Amino acid sequence: MSLLSAEGLVKEFGGLRAIDELSVSVEEGELVGVMGPNGAGKSTFFNCVSGVVPPDDGTVTLKGTDVTGDSPESLAHRGLVRTFQNTRELETMTVRDNVRLAAPDQPGERTLPALLRSGSMTEREEAVRGRADELIEMFELDHLADEYSSNLSGGQRKLLELARTLMLDPDVLMLDEPFAGVNPTLTREIADHIRDLNENGMTIVIIEHELETLTELVDRLVVLQQGRLLVEGDPEVVLEDERVIEAYLGGDAE
Amino acid sequence: MNVLDRLPSGHGDRALIAGVVCLLVGALFALTPLRVQLPSAFYVFVEVGILFVIYGILVLGLDLQYGHTGLVNFGHVVFFAVGAYATAMLSAQDTFAGIGLGYPWPLGLAVGVIAAAILGAAVSLTSIRLRGDFLAIVTLATAEIFHSVFVNFEDIFGGNVGILGVPRPIAALVADGDTRLVATLLVLGGVTLLTLAVVTRLTEAPYGRVLRAIRADELVTRSVGKSTITYKTQAFVYGAALAGLAGGLFALYNGAVAPGFFTIQVTVTIWIGMLLGGAANHRAVLAGLAIIMGLRLVSRFALGVTPISGDVFASARLIVVGLILIAVIRYRPAGIWGDPRELGVDQ
Repeated sequence: MSLLSAEGLVKEFGGLRAIDELSVSVEEGELVGVMGPNGAGKSTFFNCVSGVVPPDDGTVTLKGTDVTGDSPESLAHRGLVRTFQNTRELETMTVRDNVRLAAPDQPGERTLPALLRSGSMTEREEAVRGRADELIEMFELDHLADEYSSNLSGGQRKLLELARTLMLDPDVLMLDEPFAGVNPTLTREIADHIRDLNENGMTIVIIEHELETLTELVDRLVVLQQGRLLVEGDPEVVLEDERVIEAYLGGDAE
Repeated sequence: MNVLDRLPSGHGDRALIAGVVCLLVGALFALTPLRVQLPSAFYVFVEVGILFVIYGILVLGLDLQYGHTGLVNFGHVVFFAVGAYATAMLSAQDTFAGIGLGYPWPLGLAVGVIAAAILGAAVSLTSIRLRGDFLAIVTLATAEIFHSVFVNFEDIFGGNVGILGVPRPIAALVADGDTRLVATLLVLGGVTLLTLAVVTRLTEAPYGRVLRAIRADELVTRSVGKSTITYKTQAFVYGAALAGLAGGLFALYNGAVAPGFFTIQVTVTIWIGMLLGGAANHRAVLAGLAIIMGLRLVSRFALGVTPISGDVFASARLIVVGLILIAVIRYRPAGIWGDPRELGVDQ
């Protein structure tokens, strides 16, 4: 059984079918790349799977449970976490708070323990701080920990977003263009982090345009076109596929 | 500097201690033959001070909603009014018009808080899932609807006369006028300080971190597993309940409620105070409110020494308040003590 699978997903915006009967499944421990020309439906696919928008038709299954149309927060509890194409930071909060926020199971996020400053809240917060600092250090953001995240550069924001999602210790991590607008050095760094996480057992799905990095990184490539699955398989093979070349270069089929 | 790194700040706990001390000293005046005498020039200060501590509870509730969570409530006065009317109608002995049930006042106060909280929950249910501006419109409309209901349903709410004969617990204990005023200021000020302690604890805890995250970006907050609808509803209901508490206390201090006490002017004053001081900072919003109410007090004295008529003076006062607000928004967009980075107005 696949860890995550989408069956016959459909999403329409007005008259436009952004994704059309799309079925993709991801096995446990896999590192899968999703690519396709602009408008192929990659982000819509992510949005439907991660609960940001409900699909019009089809089902999403996570660890054998039907999670179609579940909210992002409930999916996060079930172990599926995503990042966003345009990094979304909590700009009015510090780097530290951005990461700490994501900690699950903090009793101090409920009214009564917060008002009573319960011991369980303080204890949990100690652990949360420790873990958050670890992640901040891992992504080399420690010198920026007390900065407001609005002051970070594009690349630093990508790192912060990763740190924040890892705070949840997800089973499935969905990354929407993690290398977009990032310099080559940082791209390699982020790719290394992704590889490490995957080697430690995390299942990862990546949308990316940066083909070179993506094909080096992933086990399998899924290519979308006009909301449908065009080709999937081994990255080397997929990139040689005529249909993929045509979709990207706009060559004539005839 | 990180909010949680400041823990334990002690601001909240200092407010807790100060609040208890105020209540105890107030009780001392109320329950013992101890008497104070105020110079007559002081009366007006104590009276405005009492109104300030009542409005202080309002501004703390509004700041929990807007400053911390980003919920725009343009009808805050309606929760204040509902708390006041519920308390008054439950506890009034012989009201001239409207309903007075004559129950003990503590029950009235409790019902006042609950009624405001229920109205807050109802408003949340209709509009908190929608985009922020819808909530702003719904709250504004709710305030207008209730104002109209209070004025027009004379048999129930007493119309323009309102509800009279509301018990005044402190006045019942202290016959002497000066001591009564001081005891009232101390007791109500104590309640405001306790409110400050409660909201400080709430916002300094991880609970407050979730609220600020919702203000920053609700979708991100959801995507890291926080049920933002629950938090938004809670913050809105808590703010409404605090307004209800302020309303109940106002009714029990004033001895009467009428629509004239609950105009949009109250909402405007609270908003200006909050923005002037700096949203998302409890002490700043109280200080901002003190400035705006202090200004009104000073202008009262100024009226006596200027040769212009009262009407002209009232208009001039509005102009001055407007100019101050424009100046603050231009030069200190996060308010006098607000943190521009935390409020996202850092250009």
